[in-house]
Amino acid sequence: MSLKYESQIREPLVYGNKTYHQVTEDIVRPIEAKPTKLWYVGFFMAISLLLFGVYSVYREVVYGVGQWNLNKTVGWGWDITNFVWWVGIGHAGTLISAILLLFRQGWRTGVNRAAEAMTIFAVICAGQFPIFHMGRVWMAFFVFPYPNTRGPLWVNFNSPLLWDVFAISTYFTVSLLFWYSGLLPDFATVRDRAKTKLRKCLYGIASFGWTGSTKHWQRHEALSLVLAGLSTPLVLSVHTIVSFDFATSVVPGWHTTIFPPYFVAGAIFSGFAMVQTLMVVVRKVFGLQDYVTIGHIEAMNKVIVLTGSIVGIAYLTELFIAWYSQSKYEGYAFFYSRANLFSPYGWSYFGMMTCNVLIPQIFWWRKMRRSLFVTFFMSILVNVGMWFERFVIIVTSIYRDYLPSSWTVYYSPSIWEIGFYLGTFGLFFTCFFLFAKYFPTIAIAEIKHVLKTSGESYKDNMSEVENTNAEEFAHKYAH
Amino acid sequence: MEKKYWQSFGELNNSDAYQKSSKNEFKEELPFDAEKGLLDAKTPRRDFLKYLGFTTAAAAVAASCEVPVKKAIPFANQPEEIVPGVANYYATTYVQEGDVISVVAKVRDGRPIKLEGNELSPITKGGTSARVQASVLDLYDGARLRFPTIDGKETNFDTIDKVISEELASAGNIVILSSTINSPSSLDVIQKFLAKYPGSKHITYDAVSNSGILLANETSFGKKVIPSYRFDKAKTIVSIGADFLATWISPVEYANQYAHGRKINDANPEMSKHIHFESVASLTGSNADVRYLHRPSQTGAIVTALLSAVKGESINGISDAKLKEGIEKTAKALTEKKGEALVVCGSNDVNIQIIINAINEILLANGKTIDWNSINYSRKGIDTEFAQLVDDMNAGTVGALLVIDANPVYTWYDNEKLKTGLDKVKVKISFGSKADETTQKCKYVIPNHHFLESWGDAEAKSGCYSFMQPTIYPLFKTRQWQDSLLKWGGASTDYLAHLKSFWGAKLTGSNSWDKALQDGVHNTASDILGTSVYNATSLAAAIANVQPAKTGIELQFYQKIAIGAGQGAANPWLQEMPDPVTRATWDNYLVVSPAMAKTLLKIDLSKNAQSDKYEVHPDKKVVAIKINGKLIELPALIIPGTHPETVGIAVGYGRDKKLGKTVINDVTDTSIGVNVYPFAQYVNGTVSYDISNIELKLTDKTYPVALTQTHNLYNTPHGNRTEILKELTLGEYKENTKVILEEREKELAAYGGLDNFREEGSIYKPFDKPGIKWGMSIDLNACNGCGACLIACNAENNVSVVGKPEVLRFHDMHWLRIDRYYSGDADNPNVVFQPMLCQHCDNAPCENVCPVAATNHSSEGLNQMTYNRCIGTRYCANNCPYKVRRFNWADYTGSDSFPNNQDELNNAVHYMNEDLTRMVLNPDVTVRSRGVIEKCSFCVQRLQDGKLKAKKEGRPLKTGQNDEWDLKVACQQSCPTDGIIFGNVNDAESSISKARRDSNRLFYSLEFLHVLPNVNYLAKVRNTDEQA
Repeated sequence: MSLKYESQIREPLVYGNKTYHQVTEDIVRPIEAKPTKLWYVGFFMAISLLLFGVYSVYREVVYGVGQWNLNKTVGWGWDITNFVWWVGIGHAGTLISAILLLFRQGWRTGVNRAAEAMTIFAVICAGQFPIFHMGRVWMAFFVFPYPNTRGPLWVNFNSPLLWDVFAISTYFTVSLLFWYSGLLPDFATVRDRAKTKLRKCLYGIASFGWTGSTKHWQRHEALSLVLAGLSTPLVLSVHTIVSFDFATSVVPGWHTTIFPPYFVAGAIFSGFAMVQTLMVVVRKVFGLQDYVTIGHIEAMNKVIVLTGSIVGIAYLTELFIAWYSQSKYEGYAFFYSRANLFSPYGWSYFGMMTCNVLIPQIFWWRKMRRSLFVTFFMSILVNVGMWFERFVIIVTSIYRDYLPSSWTVYYSPSIWEIGFYLGTFGLFFTCFFLFAKYFPTIAIAEIKHVLKTSGESYKDNMSEVENTNAEEFAHKYAH
Repeated sequence: MEKKYWQSFGELNNSDAYQKSSKNEFKEELPFDAEKGLLDAKTPRRDFLKYLGFTTAAAAVAASCEVPVKKAIPFANQPEEIVPGVANYYATTYVQEGDVISVVAKVRDGRPIKLEGNELSPITKGGTSARVQASVLDLYDGARLRFPTIDGKETNFDTIDKVISEELASAGNIVILSSTINSPSSLDVIQKFLAKYPGSKHITYDAVSNSGILLANETSFGKKVIPSYRFDKAKTIVSIGADFLATWISPVEYANQYAHGRKINDANPEMSKHIHFESVASLTGSNADVRYLHRPSQTGAIVTALLSAVKGESINGISDAKLKEGIEKTAKALTEKKGEALVVCGSNDVNIQIIINAINEILLANGKTIDWNSINYSRKGIDTEFAQLVDDMNAGTVGALLVIDANPVYTWYDNEKLKTGLDKVKVKISFGSKADETTQKCKYVIPNHHFLESWGDAEAKSGCYSFMQPTIYPLFKTRQWQDSLLKWGGASTDYLAHLKSFWGAKLTGSNSWDKALQDGVHNTASDILGTSVYNATSLAAAIANVQPAKTGIELQFYQKIAIGAGQGAANPWLQEMPDPVTRATWDNYLVVSPAMAKTLLKIDLSKNAQSDKYEVHPDKKVVAIKINGKLIELPALIIPGTHPETVGIAVGYGRDKKLGKTVINDVTDTSIGVNVYPFAQYVNGTVSYDISNIELKLTDKTYPVALTQTHNLYNTPHGNRTEILKELTLGEYKENTKVILEEREKELAAYGGLDNFREEGSIYKPFDKPGIKWGMSIDLNACNGCGACLIACNAENNVSVVGKPEVLRFHDMHWLRIDRYYSGDADNPNVVFQPMLCQHCDNAPCENVCPVAATNHSSEGLNQMTYNRCIGTRYCANNCPYKVRRFNWADYTGSDSFPNNQDELNNAVHYMNEDLTRMVLNPDVTVRSRGVIEKCSFCVQRLQDGKLKAKKEGRPLKTGQNDEWDLKVACQQSCPTDGIIFGNVNDAESSISKARRDSNRLFYSLEFLHVLPNVNYLAKVRNTDEQA
């Protein structure tokens, strides 16, 4: 019996009459079984995409950024769009693990492991773009402030790109630590169940000698809270700083003070959508419906409709300010280049509005929130919409900025630009498939933690508890 | 007994085993089994480190060898006058088919790399043109002929001289065919040659001739010459189709004179009035205060009407009301300024030019704005003479033809007849320096030197001599044609000796030969304008014979400023220079008016959706043009300022592939553009480029045209962006000379107004800028958009050529571009040219966004680019409001360490990366590698040089004090109109300080952004009645 009391009216977080052992069995089984054919098919598809991406990047590195269709006016296109998109996706994991942990949201336990993994892979994918969009990627180490013999020559601390370097590397490091520290007890579980020497050895190394002693648990809990505390501001800071890449510039359409909150909301929005996309598939494939319940999915859909609406308000605010400021340049960017279906890139703005603001409103209906099909479909649409958002911000602003003489011909990506993007999908899914095969996709220890308060079978017993006198209950548990 | 030291018992006892082992040279086992081979060997523990060490070292050596070694061989003996790293300057002369520009060649380590205008020249006053600037690249053209040939086979000079001498002796009727030659000594050489061969003659052929003017002047003034037009003396300038700022007779000279009347003094705002009549938008028409559009066939009617109008008579024969009113207004503007008015006409029709002469007589131009004391020798060709020669050749009466610097097979309208005629000529000798269309028809080819390898002289205008001296030893086995003629004419001297003796008597005392050669120019002309006696007898007949206007769609051929009659076609700098009128590169195309676009192309530019679609897609609709039954297809560009029923096509394209890689389209492997010379017409003894009775039909094909600017209006649906540039009328300016200041005050009102803007526009405190602070001022009234600065910048700063496929993708690398904007009437707009380069902002938005501080600010106000620090994030380019930063998208320069990565680039890039072509690179300027941003540096190498010069002489830097200059930046130096002033703004006496102090027209582009540019502009003023 746990100290926490949870009403029976609340949906259980774990279905079925599970014991601790069963939980372990359910979650570790896919790791110990041979992968299915479907896994192989998916894995090799991911690897193929990754290889195509590697080749695309090889071409770009050897022949130059001219392999992409960027030009003298549109200096950033798909590269930075994809970067911001992936970074945005990489927001849900930390939000779920850190902020929801601090807010004591029990439902996070079902999805946090996968969400954190997704975060890490998404940030890895995101990182490829700022690195390989450089003209001279072999000089990329110049962005680090290290003592050198060139003067010493330091980096430019005024540049938002430099802030990006710090923000993203910090975020990545903390997310990785958080994720990994959570994995330690679960790795130990897998180790303890291992039947071959190799498995024992590898999972043994991976679990850092976890014994499950009280001292270990105590330190683990403390570390989780410290890391959660550290991560919380990072969730807000990373995308804030990414938004500074645009907000601190002089380009009409970029130079906007609303960007930090707007970007953060958008990031959470797209991150949750990506978690949905993955979890809807994973729970089905690994038979984890008892742990990732419809209740979980509904909770996340609520976050999606909330953040989607915040983003929608931000879009409208931008339009209002563009009108209210009476700036010719902003007016042109917002009302001619963007909110104008007949301008060359008008389609992207309307794509963004539809996918991000209009369609997610269906989640006001409970039935829709609890429909797996709608959820999956919507989660894809939201990320399409969020891709449009970044494309709109980046390309429609710079392709027609101050001097009409420099307004450019139509920018559309080359095959290698698309290839790079597909390659990051390959990278992402390669990592995710490996993760799903070799790592416990659900935090076993944390599920066990909520099992006895929020598990279905234990909830049945709650009626007894509810019938007991409150003073008696307190007295009983005081001992 | 000797003491024995032993190591083993075996050695002590000298056992059998020891004896055996001592014979074995390799006592230790080899690390591999000889039978199994090296690759199967195991690595023993002890050898592992050795292997590791060896392979690491080998890999390191191999890896560090990846950069190909380029050999730089130092001088074994220091040549006299060459100090490594220090440039020598030699005055010489650019001569191309009659065009003469005095230049100073900058020679570094024995190779000429840049031409500067010769400021001593009384004609150009230091001005140049894009073609002059680009001509240095022709010297290093890999497609130049490298040795004399007979029937295409290499030979030597002795053999060819012997064979030709024999041939000429028996040929009979020798004809020397040349483009206009205005070199007195060369004409002397020709005379001597002609004297040797009785019955021989010299015929001058100009690709685009001015026969009309020459013959009209013969009729009206009894002199078959072109006088000097003095645009600087004219208060009213009327041009009827004469593109005198770009291609008509002597454009550099005229541009300089024209700017003289266009620059405005604030104290007394006056300027000349320029009225232009034209059919297809031209550079000169774009600069006019008022432009009227007409059909090409109406030219006769217009000049006749103008004659009537200036006489005060009523106008007949003009049905277009707008045009009629225009002619009346023009006549009024002309007659108001009698003695200060000038009318010029680009028509090649003798009758029309006779009428023009009559108009100028009435306007008292003779001796006032037309100087008969000074004859312009740039064009001497008479079309009838050449037509006669073609007839003679066809009749078989020409025994030998010597072709000097002329290419009639390409440019003559009836080239089929010319080719058959040529086939009947027994001896054909070409002095062409490239295998051009005419040279290919000649049996004997003795390639001429490039002018930078030649000796010579030129007399562009009477009494204004310019000298030519070699700046480099001939690169190939070539010879000056004068040497050949002297040799075949039996002279014992070579041309240099002839030249010296020719001038020896004329240049005496202080004007010695050495002095003349050093100065490059020698001027004996007086400043007094001369008159000529006018004879009106043929006027009535001329009026009666003027061709009547036609109906239907008409076509006009025109020359582009960069390509000319085709001379620039193989020069990648010129091909990549955006045409100032159309902003297109690397092609010719059909120019159509916006009105015709509606019906012909189904594009209505006044509708945003349609104009957007037209602008953002480089694929332009292809139109089939039927001329005299022949069909050509060209993509159509919509250019306002073109008559609604007239279309235009540029000549000079569709060159033979032997001219070099640069005339070949990469994709189709055919020649770039279409040659339209064969469609010209021969009317009344002159070649006419105005064609009527054509049919246009839209095809369903498209063809990509590489434009560098797609949008042309600064007035947007969300406001008129007057912060970018400012234009106004003379009337407005006279009424209130502070109008620009007031406009700026209004723009900056929210940020502290003009006075406090610098401080209040920022949260940072302003910083001191002691010492030198560089600044530039560009007068939009002086700039006519000619593009000389652009090519000068290319040459000075090693700016990459990227080729058409890359320009199509908006990858052009120009550090300086000339933006062209339209305002007013959509069909016949006002045009303003704005040279745009790095503004070297004091509060530069590019600087603070670079993560590695690769772009930063110098203490002298320069926005600097540190190429080897740049990692290529391109954020600076995105954040530059002027969009002047250029990224190296690919390895355009061959300075990258990845092998073979230029393979996927195009002909132009490959051409620019040949070893020979790369000799043109300026060693003072880094060649940028792939992946870095570059941009205008304000020619920092020149600034350093100038500062050093002043320092060595122990005095402050001079940038224009009393017109003394320690340095001029490349664009400023090349400008024919002195529209660019550069210097130290901290020096109150410098030209730039004066220019900024004196003009109320000063403005900074996008000033309200508070980027604090160091380049200012002076607003464009138009001398019109209407409001801008």
